[in-house]
Amino acid sequence: MHQQAQLRLKKDEIQKLGAEAFVVVSMDLYRTEGFKEKNLLFGGGTGQFGKEKSIVWATALSDPSGRAGAIYGVSTKCLRWGSWIENRPTWFVIDGEGTLVYTAKPTFATPTSYVTDVDLVLDALRKAAGK
Amino acid sequence: MKRRTIGLIAVTGVLTGLLGILPAVSARPSHSALERYRNLELKPVFENFDKGWQERVELEFEMVNHPNLPELRQGLKDTDPYVRSISAKVLGFLADRESIELLAEMAAKDPEYHVRIRAIEALGFLKAKPEVIAAGKSDPDFGVKWTAKTVEGMVADRVDHAAQARASFAKGIRRKDMDSAVVGKRAPDFTARRLDGTLFRLSEVRGKKPIAIYFAAFDG
Repeated sequence: MHQQAQLRLKKDEIQKLGAEAFVVVSMDLYRTEGFKEKNLLFGGGTGQFGKEKSIVWATALSDPSGRAGAIYGVSTKCLRWGSWIENRPTWFVIDGEGTLVYTAKPTFATPTSYVTDVDLVLDALRKAAGK
Repeated sequence: MKRRTIGLIAVTGVLTGLLGILPAVSARPSHSALERYRNLELKPVFENFDKGWQERVELEFEMVNHPNLPELRQGLKDTDPYVRSISAKVLGFLADRESIELLAEMAAKDPEYHVRIRAIEALGFLKAKPEVIAAGKSDPDFGVKWTAKTVEGMVADRVDHAAQARASFAKGIRRKDMDSAVVGKRAPDFTARRLDGTLFRLSEVRGKKPIAIYFAAFDG
């Protein structure tokens, strides 16, 4: 959820670029809605976004078969982190011409590595927007 | 002489026929998708997180799109926990009501946490046994607890999530289309479902504006 919360912090900048963000969840629509709207893991809280309905700003998309993930080469359908993981977390940036210009797999190597991950996505979006 | 010639022609004809059939027979997989899943060289375990996924994807699509229900139901009782897991998952997508009792038993008692996760998910797709799903929230394993918490509401939800999942599988997947996103090339199209239930197609927005896509694991 940290990647999504960090993306939410950069919302204004992404909107200024005229860009759009999507998050694909390899689950049924019910759990995708939970992912987007219910903040199941980060509900409540007293922080900056504690009262917001969702910290997931990107448009959430449900991919229950994992077909989209397989096309993008991120499918895993494997056990890890104490559960079944359908997709390896991965960022992609597509420019205004429809060309894939950036991809990165977050490492989760440090407790704050998501900050750099999202900064790099933002850099790629800036380049993609010609700014 | 005449009889020998006729015999020779008959034998040649039979052999030619057999040779014609043989390639067709050998091209068909000799074992079911579930059996091939059992014999996966790269099992769905931690060490193979980035390896062998293409085959796991293919087999799951095959099991959902061309189901062998008796075999999958038998798979729930298999000694191999990975066979039990995948059988539970697929039977959930197929909304197989004959499996409900066994899935409920597995959700509560299977010794492997990953099988209990799949059984609880399957009950969510089946909209069955809410009391078993609720009990999963007290499971000693965090993954089982989390799954029970996230699928609990599926039982009362009006959407047929199993039918939506089958529709997603029905598009099929070919090996040549997997892993086809390459930097510098046109981003491959895909479809997924928006929260309002409508279908999203990347090609609707691709080429019109810069786009960021994040493929999330279970918690983002």
